Amino acid sequence: MSPVSSVGSPLTSLYAQIAGANKAPPVLPDSLKVGAPTTAPSGEGFAKVFDQLIGTVESKQTQANAITQNVLVGGQGQLHQSVIAMQEASVAFSLMVEVRNKLVDSYQELMRMPV
Amino acid sequence: MNLISGIEITASALNAQKTRLDVIAQNIANAQTTRTPSGGPYKRQLISFETSLLQQTGDGQPALHGVQISSVTSDPSPGERIYNPQHPDADSQGIVTMPNVNLAYEMVDLITATRAYEANLSVAKNGREMADRTLRIGQ
Repeated sequence: MSPVSSVGSPLTSLYAQIAGANKAPPVLPDSLKVGAPTTAPSGEGFAKVFDQLIGTVESKQTQANAITQNVLVGGQGQLHQSVIAMQEASVAFSLMVEVRNKLVDSYQELMRMPV
Repeated sequence: MNLISGIEITASALNAQKTRLDVIAQNIANAQTTRTPSGGPYKRQLISFETSLLQQTGDGQPALHGVQISSVTSDPSPGERIYNPQHPDADSQGIVTMPNVNLAYEMVDLITATRAYEANLSVAKNGREMADRTLRIGQ
């Protein structure tokens, strides 16, 4: 959204510069120069989301471990609670793997894009 | 906000049925017990369940009810009276009052509880498979 709208105004100013080429040679706006600093979103946002996801998955696995330990030692926990907690952790892990697969797919799709 | 749908309710039902199995085990184990801390022979224990509000999933959504143990009560029916003067718990006439546990009833209860437990296990398994299939949407 924002890259498209931000590209719009430099382009119109570029056209204006090309139209008035007699007066001065056209100058590329900063945003179209290679290596120019851009305001494109960095990967930090997704990394943060993914980090939180991993944290949640890990906490679920830790919880399942604790319940299983409790069952094995003979405390308050019960067998089905342990198995259910493990299943929850397993589903959470599958979800995380699925998110990671989608990310890798998107990356490879971008890499295959002809320039 | 569970990954596996309905798992908390199923867990409460599994817990309830497991407790029922415990009570049946206690009845069968004490089928010959003629002496208890409260005096007299063992009394058969009966278990009853009640619903418990587990979660309100949101506005307009139905409230979901789990199950919990309502009470464990004693069966008031009298036990069998056997003439056995050698028994240490025999009264002055040599009569021993046995527990009011009927093994046939207990076995029927045992089968019912086992089947109920299995039914809830199927629900849990189904929930897990649904989650797995949902994760495969994009494939």
